Amino acid sequence: MSATTLDHDHAHAHDHHEPGFLRKYVWSTDHKVIGLQYGLTGLLFLLFGFFLMLLMRWSIAYPGEPVPAVEAIRNIPLIKDLFEAMFGRWLNPDGSLNGELYNMLGAMHGTIMVFFGIVPLGFAGFVNFVMPLQIGTIDMAFPKLNMLSYWFFFVSGVLMMYSFFVGTGPVQTGWTMYSPLATTTTLGVTNVWQHGHTWWLTAMVFNISASLLGSVNVIATIINLRAKGLGWMKMPFFCWAMFVTAFLLLLAFPPLEVAAILQLSDRVFGSSFYLPTGLMEGGKHLDISGGGSPLLYQHLFWFLAHPEVYVLILPAFAILTDVIPCNARRPLWGYKSMVYSVLTLGFLSFLVWAHHMYLTGMGTMMSTYFQITTVLISVPSVILLTCLMISLWGGSIRFNTQMLFASAFLPMFGIGGLTGLPLAFSFIDLAMHDTYYVIGHFHYVVAPGTIFALFAGVYHWFPKFTGRYMNDKLGKLHFWPSLLGMNLIFAPMFIQGMAGFHRRWYDGGKYFENTSGFTHWSTTLTHKVGAFFGLDIPDNMLSLNIVMSVGAFILALGQIPFIINFWFSIKGGKKAENDNPWGATTMEWATPTPPGHGNFLFEPVAHRGPYEYSVPGHPVDFFPQWESEHGKPKPDGSDAPAKTEHAATHH
Amino acid sequence: MSDNIEEIQKSIKKYLIIGALLIVFTVITVWLSYVELPTHGLNILVGMIVATFKASLVALIFMHLNHEKSVIYKTLVFTVVLVFVLFVLFYFSKMDPLVFDGFYKLSE
Amino acid sequence: MDIPYTVHARPDTGLYNAKIGIWLFLASEVMLFGGLFSAYIFLRLGADYPWPVHDLDVTLGFWNTIVLIASSVTVVMAWASVKLRRYGQYKIYMAITVICAGVFMFNKSLEYKAKLKHYAVKLTDGTILTGHMPEDEHHNTIPYRIKFGEITELSLTIPVKKSAITADPVGYVIPHIEGEAPKFKTADGKEITLDDAAFAELSAAAVEKAWAEGKGSATVKLTAVTPLKAAAKPSEIFGYTADSITFRDGTTAKGKLLDDKMTLLVDGIDARGVAQPDKSLAFDHRYLGAWQPAFVANREHHIAEFEENYPTRDKEKSATLQKESLFYKIHSSTPPAADAAHGGDKHGAEAHAPAEGGHGGGHDYPTVVIDKKDITFFSNFTPKLNTYYAIYFTLTGLHGLHVVAGALVLLYFLVFNGRMLREDPEHLANRIEVGGLFWHFVDLVWIFLFPLLYLL
Repeated sequence: MSATTLDHDHAHAHDHHEPGFLRKYVWSTDHKVIGLQYGLTGLLFLLFGFFLMLLMRWSIAYPGEPVPAVEAIRNIPLIKDLFEAMFGRWLNPDGSLNGELYNMLGAMHGTIMVFFGIVPLGFAGFVNFVMPLQIGTIDMAFPKLNMLSYWFFFVSGVLMMYSFFVGTGPVQTGWTMYSPLATTTTLGVTNVWQHGHTWWLTAMVFNISASLLGSVNVIATIINLRAKGLGWMKMPFFCWAMFVTAFLLLLAFPPLEVAAILQLSDRVFGSSFYLPTGLMEGGKHLDISGGGSPLLYQHLFWFLAHPEVYVLILPAFAILTDVIPCNARRPLWGYKSMVYSVLTLGFLSFLVWAHHMYLTGMGTMMSTYFQITTVLISVPSVILLTCLMISLWGGSIRFNTQMLFASAFLPMFGIGGLTGLPLAFSFIDLAMHDTYYVIGHFHYVVAPGTIFALFAGVYHWFPKFTGRYMNDKLGKLHFWPSLLGMNLIFAPMFIQGMAGFHRRWYDGGKYFENTSGFTHWSTTLTHKVGAFFGLDIPDNMLSLNIVMSVGAFILALGQIPFIINFWFSIKGGKKAENDNPWGATTMEWATPTPPGHGNFLFEPVAHRGPYEYSVPGHPVDFFPQWESEHGKPKPDGSDAPAKTEHAATHH
Repeated sequence: MSDNIEEIQKSIKKYLIIGALLIVFTVITVWLSYVELPTHGLNILVGMIVATFKASLVALIFMHLNHEKSVIYKTLVFTVVLVFVLFVLFYFSKMDPLVFDGFYKLSE
Repeated sequence: MDIPYTVHARPDTGLYNAKIGIWLFLASEVMLFGGLFSAYIFLRLGADYPWPVHDLDVTLGFWNTIVLIASSVTVVMAWASVKLRRYGQYKIYMAITVICAGVFMFNKSLEYKAKLKHYAVKLTDGTILTGHMPEDEHHNTIPYRIKFGEITELSLTIPVKKSAITADPVGYVIPHIEGEAPKFKTADGKEITLDDAAFAELSAAAVEKAWAEGKGSATVKLTAVTPLKAAAKPSEIFGYTADSITFRDGTTAKGKLLDDKMTLLVDGIDARGVAQPDKSLAFDHRYLGAWQPAFVANREHHIAEFEENYPTRDKEKSATLQKESLFYKIHSSTPPAADAAHGGDKHGAEAHAPAEGGHGGGHDYPTVVIDKKDITFFSNFTPKLNTYYAIYFTLTGLHGLHVVAGALVLLYFLVFNGRMLREDPEHLANRIEVGGLFWHFVDLVWIFLFPLLYLL
C-alpha cells in the first residue's frame, strides 16, 4: 500500500516539489513526523531516566560500594569524558555514590521521566500522530506552531541535559524543586549560569511553552477540523481523553511557569518570593529581604503538578480505549459515561492540588476542603477503569503483545489507584508522607500503569507508522520480564514505606537501624530465597532493597528485546497485509500505510460510532466508522465495484 | 463579530465612546485611590470594582465578547472559574478562618 | 490540500481556526496572570512590612494607562477599517498603535532606570534610609565595597568528596583582588600564578594526600609574594573580621580591614518599623541627628491634620497617615528651620512624591557615612529590596514583554502584509482581529496592574 501512497503523492505534487530530507524529517510541519519526533525523543529520555534510576538503586542496595562497570567505562575513550563530566566527577574516589550525586540523580530522574519522557511520548507523540487521523483531517490546525512546539521541547531537553555539565551539576532538590531549599542550596555560586538550578528553570520555561503551543493546537484541531459526520459523541474516546489532557496542559502549566519565573527571580535577582523573613543557612542570616513564603511555591507548583498526574494517566486511558475494544472484538462499554467521567475528572483535577501539602501546615479549612475533593476525584477514575474492565466481558480476546500490556495495565493501575486512597486523608498522610509508600503508589500508577499503556500503543500503531508488525515473540519476551520487574521494584516499597523508610535516603536506610533493623515475613522470605541461591541477604528491612534492585535489573534486561524489536521491525518486520491489519474501526486505519502527506485518499465521512465491533448481522466482526456500507469506500478511496475484488481481505 | 458592513460602521462610534469612558474611569480610579475610606481594604475593594468594570468594557466591546460563539464562552467560563478558585484558595491559605494567625507572622 | 477553515468560519462552530487558537492562548494567559495575581494576594497578605502605596510614579503610570487605552481603540479601528476596505485609514491606525506601544515601553524604561540607582538601607533597629550612592564624574554610581589590604596568606579548604561548591579561588577570590595575576608561594616554596591549571594541580595533589590519610578535606595554604589588596560587595563574601575575610568558596584570606563604611546621600527616613520613631537610629549623632526636629514637626503636622479631617478614626490603622507622618522625605542638604518644615505649598508635593524618584545630584541631600554594624540589609530598588518590588518587577516586566511581542506582531502585519491587504483582505482582517484580541488582553491586564501596583 505504501507504493500507492507514493504514487498518489507524486500525482498531487502540483504546487510543491518533493521536500528534501531536512524539510521532510527535521523541520517538518507534518503532524505524523512531529508525532514520531516527539515519540522517539520521549523514548530516548525514558531510557535515560531509567538509567539514572539504576544508578540510584545500586546505591540504595549496596551503599558505599563502588558502582560496577565504572572502571570499565572509565577506560572507553570519548564515553569516558562524557561519563566523567556528567557523573564521574561526583563519585567518591573509590567509585561509590555519595549523597550529592544521589540527589542529583533523583531530581533528574523525576524531571526527565515526567516532563521529558511520558508527556512527550504519551501525549504529544500519540496525539500528534493518531488524533488528526482519527478525526479524519489532513493535518493539525496550526502546522507551523506544531513544528515550533517540538523544537521548543527539543531546546528544553538540550538545556536540561546541559545542566549535567555546569559547575554545580544538575539540581539536587527533587523534581518538585521546593523553595527555600532549591533557592538556597549552593547559594555560594555567584555565577548563576554555572548553577544547575538556573538551567532547570530555563529548560522548564521552554518546556511549558512547547506544551502550551501543542495543547492549543490539539484543542483547536479537535474543535474545528473534525470530519464530516463526526459529531462530538461519535468521536473516539482517544480524542476525548486527549482533548481533556490538552486542556489540563493549557490551563495548569501557566501557574508552574509563574512558579518557575518567580524562583528564577529568587535565584538570579535575589528576590524573596519564597524566602521567609529571618531565613538562616549555615548559622548565618542570608542576604535577603525575606517576607515571602515557601507555601506560595508549593501552591503554584502543585496547581500544575496535580493535573500533571492526570496528564500522565489520561493518554494511557486514551490508548487503551483503542487497544482493548479492538483486541477484545467488543464495543467499548459505557462510552458516554466514560466521556462524562473524563470531563469531570479534568475539572476536578484542578481542585485537589493541596493534598500534596498536608504537612505544610496550610490550615485546617484548606485540609478539609482538599480531603473532600480528593475523595471525590476517585469516583470518575474508578468509572474509567471499570468501563475498560467490563469491555473485556464476553469478548474473544486476541492476546497479542499490545493486549498483554493493556490487560496488565488494569490490575497495575488498580493497585496504584487503591493505594492512593489512604493518602487522601490528612491524618494518614501525616505518617505516610515522603515515605516509600508514596513512591510505590505513584510509580504503580505511572510505571506499570502509564508506561505499559504506552508500550501497548507503540505495538498497536506500529503497523500504521511503518507498514510492518513488530515481532510478537520478542514482544512477549519484552512483556513478561517487564511485568515481573515492575512488581519486584514497586510492591516492596509499600512494605518499606509503612515501616517508615524515607524516600530520600541514598544509603537505603542502612544508617537508620531503628527503622530498618526489624523483620517481616517478606524479609524472611527474601533471606531464605537468598540462602537457597547461596547469597547472604540480611533478614531485615534492608533485604527488600536488594529485591527491588534485582527487579530493576530484570526490568532493564526486559527492555532489550523491545529496543531490538523496535529498530529491526522498521525495515525487517512482517509486512502488514492491508491498511487495517487489526481490523479496527476508527478512521486512522482508513489511510494508506504509512499515511502520505495529506493522509486520506478520499474525503472521510463518519457514518457511525467509533466502536462498532461484532455488529450482529454484519459480514465481518467490525464495521469501521468511515464505511457507508460494508467495504466501501476502501482506504485507497476507490469504491467502484470493478476495483473491490478483494474487499473481503479483512479477517 | 459580525461581517455586516453597516454594523461595523455603526460600531466605530461605539469604540470611540468606550475609549473615552475608559479614560474617564482611569481618572476616577486615580482620584478614588487618594480618598481616605474608613479602611484601606475598602479602597482596594472599590478600586478593584472599577477596574473590573473597565476590564469588562474592554472584553465585551473591544474583544467582541458580547456576541461570541458558544465554544469560546465554555472555554472562558472554565478558565475564569479556575482563576477564581486560585484566588480564593490562595486567600484562604493565608487567611484561614479556622486558624487566624498566619504561619510566618514576624510579630510573634 | 489545504487546511480548512483558515479564513472562513466552520459552519457548525462559527469560528475560523486562528480565533479558537487565540482564545485558547488567552485562556492560558489568563491562568498565567491569574497565577501572578494570586501570588500578589499571597505576598501582600503575608507582608511583614508596610505595603508600599502610591510609592511608584503615579503620573507616569497614569499616562501609560491612557496610552495603552488609546492603542486599544486604534487597533480595533484598524480592524474595522480593513473590514470596510479603507486601507489608508487602516495604515494610520495601525501605525499609531505601534507608536503607542513604543511610548509605553519608553516610559517604562524611565521608571526602571530611576529605580536601579536608588537605594534603601535597613538599619538594625528597623529604620530604612533611602537615597543614592555617591557618583563619580561620569555619573556612574560608586558601589559599596568592603576593602581589605595587606593580604599575605590564603587558606583553601578542599573537600575530598566532590560537592557542588569546592574551593574555587579562580572564580571567587582572584576577581576581587586588585592588580593582574597575583603570585603566590606554595608550602614547598614553589611560586605560582593562581589560574585554573595551577589550582587543579594543587587540589589534585592535596585531595590524594588527604584521601590517603583518611581525612575528609585538605587544607592548602598559599603565601602572597607581595601583600595584596581586595575589595568585594558584601554579597560576594561570606564574612570578615578585622584581620580576615572569607570568600564564598570558603577560602579565607588574612590581612587588614581598610574600610567597611557605606556612604549614602539620604533622601528619605522611613521610621515605620521602629517602636519609637523619633528615637530611631537614623537620628544618632553620627548620622541625621540634626534632622530630628524637622521629622517630629512633620509628624505632628500630619497627625493634627488627620485628627481634624477624620476625628473618629483610629490613627494607628490608617496606612496613609503612617506613611505621611513616619516616612520623612528630605529635599535639601541641610535641615529646614523647625517652623518651615511643613511649609503649606511644599506639603502636597511631599506627600505624593514617588519614593523611588528623585535625581542623583549629590548636592541636594545630606551625606551620611553608615557603620557596617548598623546595617542589616541594603539593596537598590530592584526585586531584591522586598516582595513588593519583586512582584512589581515581575508583573510589569512580563507585561512589558507581552507589549513588545504584541507590538512586533502588529508591526509585522503593517509592514509585510501589504500583498495580503490587496489580494485577500478578509484573511488580513482575521489576522488583525486575532492580533487585536491579544493586544486588548494586554490592555486588560494593565487595567488591573495599574491600580494594584501604583494606587492601592
